[in-house]
Amino acid sequence: MQVKSLLLTGGALLAASSGAFASGFQVGLTGAKNVGMGGTGTGLYLDQASQFFNPGAFAFAPTGFQIGGNMAIPRISFRPGDADQGQRTLQNTNVFPFSGFIGFGPKEGKWRVGAGVYTPFGSELHYAQGWEGRYSLTDINLRSVMAQATVAYAITPQFSIGGGVTTLVLGDVDLQRDIPVQAQGSTAPAHAQLTGKAEHKVGYNLGVMFKPSDKLSVGISYRSAVNAHVTDGDVKVTGLPASAAGSFTATKFDVTLPLPDVYSFGVGVRPTDKLLLAFDANLVGWSRYQSLDFRYLNGVLGGNALSSSKRQYQDALAFRIGGQYKVTDNFTVRAGTFYDFSAVRDGFVTPETPDADRIGVTAGLGYTFGERFGIDASFLFEDFMKRSQSQDDLISNGTADRVAGTYKTTIYVPGVQLYVKF
Amino acid sequence: MTTLFSTVKTARPALALLGLSLAGLAGCQTNIDAPPSASAGTLDFTSYVSVGNSLTSGYSDGGLYNEAQATSFPALLAQQFATTNKGPAAFVQPAFSGAKKDGSGYIKLQIVNGALAPVVPSAANKFLGEQVAYTGANPALPTELEAYTGAQPDNLGVPGISVLSASAKASLVPQVAGAAKAYGVLNNFYQRLLPAADRGTKDYVTYIGQKTPTFFTCWMGNNDVLTYATNGGVAVATNPFSGLTDTASFRRGYRDIVTTISKAGTVKGVVANIPNVTNIPYFNTVTVAAVAAAFKAANVASPGVFIQVNGTPAVRLATSADLLTLTAQSLVAAGAGSTPGNPLLNQYVLDAAEITTVVTRTNQLNAIIANEAARFKVPVADMNTFFTSIATRGIYTNAVNNTATFASGNLFGLDGVHPTPRGYAVVANEWIRVINNYYGATIPNVDPNTYRGVLLP
Repeated sequence: MQVKSLLLTGGALLAASSGAFASGFQVGLTGAKNVGMGGTGTGLYLDQASQFFNPGAFAFAPTGFQIGGNMAIPRISFRPGDADQGQRTLQNTNVFPFSGFIGFGPKEGKWRVGAGVYTPFGSELHYAQGWEGRYSLTDINLRSVMAQATVAYAITPQFSIGGGVTTLVLGDVDLQRDIPVQAQGSTAPAHAQLTGKAEHKVGYNLGVMFKPSDKLSVGISYRSAVNAHVTDGDVKVTGLPASAAGSFTATKFDVTLPLPDVYSFGVGVRPTDKLLLAFDANLVGWSRYQSLDFRYLNGVLGGNALSSSKRQYQDALAFRIGGQYKVTDNFTVRAGTFYDFSAVRDGFVTPETPDADRIGVTAGLGYTFGERFGIDASFLFEDFMKRSQSQDDLISNGTADRVAGTYKTTIYVPGVQLYVKF
Repeated sequence: MTTLFSTVKTARPALALLGLSLAGLAGCQTNIDAPPSASAGTLDFTSYVSVGNSLTSGYSDGGLYNEAQATSFPALLAQQFATTNKGPAAFVQPAFSGAKKDGSGYIKLQIVNGALAPVVPSAANKFLGEQVAYTGANPALPTELEAYTGAQPDNLGVPGISVLSASAKASLVPQVAGAAKAYGVLNNFYQRLLPAADRGTKDYVTYIGQKTPTFFTCWMGNNDVLTYATNGGVAVATNPFSGLTDTASFRRGYRDIVTTISKAGTVKGVVANIPNVTNIPYFNTVTVAAVAAAFKAANVASPGVFIQVNGTPAVRLATSADLLTLTAQSLVAAGAGSTPGNPLLNQYVLDAAEITTVVTRTNQLNAIIANEAARFKVPVADMNTFFTSIATRGIYTNAVNNTATFASGNLFGLDGVHPTPRGYAVVANEWIRVINNYYGATIPNVDPNTYRGVLLP
């Protein structure tokens, strides 16, 4: 019940951002210290966020409670490929990924137990009214909140293991697009909206940490995949001509969205007491996302009981480097950078996830009040490579259900976190 | 969960404060390098004039009416030309007055006996409630339409006109040349454009010669084969323009048209050629196989579809090589073609020999168009190839697959011949492609998805 009370007290700021920080629709804005250091953390044991990054490292982390939130401010532009009507600017929606963790255990002891909530995946985009791709997508809002319970044990002072059980406590999807069918006397085409909630699927994470000295730590972790399975979602079609009603009889839908597994390797180096350097590499198993298949219940949508759209994501690597420097006993500065490879192949970019290789730069500050209390602030800037696809690319890939053109995204994410050490 | 959501709202402002302090950074919208900005190159569109037939006028769903006229391909071109800052200040189209906005009326899809069917407006069905522009005041031309009284339009498209009927110089047969001269009293769409004094005396070429364009498009010749084809390869004795136009007349007429509108080759422009009319939904919606199956369902002993042909015997069974017209739909539904004594009449069938004749003539006329275009140094928009490509593959416009399928394909309207607004947008983009290629202009394309396909009840 730890998890539930955390949810209520933590000022849960609902998730979602357009793939901030990691490929595909991962969010991963977990732990302000980590965000400030380029998203590293697998080889570190800084605070409670290690439950997320590497539960093995959690055994060496101090105990305490921390809660943090981010405001992701995306700036997304789209320029149509063939029919150039000038640049489209999305209605930029600020979203609020958050995380909160609590950890207990004896101060110098060998074990830790903890719990946390965080927002590992999400995407919210609203395209301009009447944009070129409205028959592909007009709006998407994907949200997820995961809760985790964690145990960690230091087998020796140099070596620890840990694991967590994760649950998708909240997962909801809201997808909308126009249907290329128009009624007599109407100036707008019909519109479809699919909304639903995911089942509470359970997953896990595991990690080990090897800490030969205070100057070096090495971690490996794994977070399992979870299939976000929406059953009994609602289909709502508006503006439909009466004569087409027979082709749009579905009232419910069923879909599975795979949330991929992540392999991470990280190293932490402490050349001096004041300086910490970190390096992380992640491999995200996006290749399990091959197609997005909606199954319609109680009828058909657009004459089909099934719709299948190719995704064919590929596993994606990310490399991160970061560091922190203790300017005074109370004041710490952080910085980092990362490069994240896209999960989406060329010619497969969809309006719901305009993914691209991206480079990120981060900065952070930390200040402690006395022995127990502290605040961390982080700032992340992410620059997506410009990405184009032509109608011919789409036709040859069998992906003509999406839009030809060029996407460009940047994201700014300020974040703040408060913590108390027990 | 309700609690969760309500806390979100209260928590936002606190974070927004932090966001605001960084607003200077976050305020910059991303920018994608623009492609070369819209440019007319060496072209001047300040007086753009379009010459042509129904396809130029914006005719759709079997009629000319204001809504479809507003999305005629010349109107869309003028709109795109305007983005170059060398476009026309105003592109004038001969619209009907507001109270008669539905012009000649247009076919609508309605549910008839539980199934969707195209319904043609007529006096009997009160024109489906449309605000038509028939005057009913001219016994010699019962289809007379409200006269257009504004200045001479820039869109000079006249539904029904052919090269043969446009130029009094085309035919050497005095009666035919005379009919071209008198075309203003024969064609209600041409009549409404002409001042009363010019009706019956001014041929179309003389009429278009009154304009002083800086740029023109010319899409003529379709009706020199289409009128014959859509009538099942049957020429009407009383109509000199209902057959296939001979190549010699076509060459004379076409040269007359292009000489006139290009001011003897001094004005730049583009001409388009003639699509293969057998590709259009008009000939591919009511199929012999489907009709035969329907007959079989009604009568197991039915051997197929009986059609009237020239020759002896005058009736035979249709084969898959015969194309039935869209207009045959209601007739076969009433039993036409089900017995040798009640065959589907010749004008509803384009048989294999007629198809060959039509296609051969189309190719001959297109060769003339290509020659004349070269003579006047203007490019040809190859609509023949373009329409064939659409008929075989369709055309994707941003997640929408548009095809040449009747009604549901989005591109062709309910007469099975003329494009929908979406279809006209796709056609406009093909013109733009040719203009950009030939003249080195960078005129942006139209977004076809902005324009509708067929409207459903």
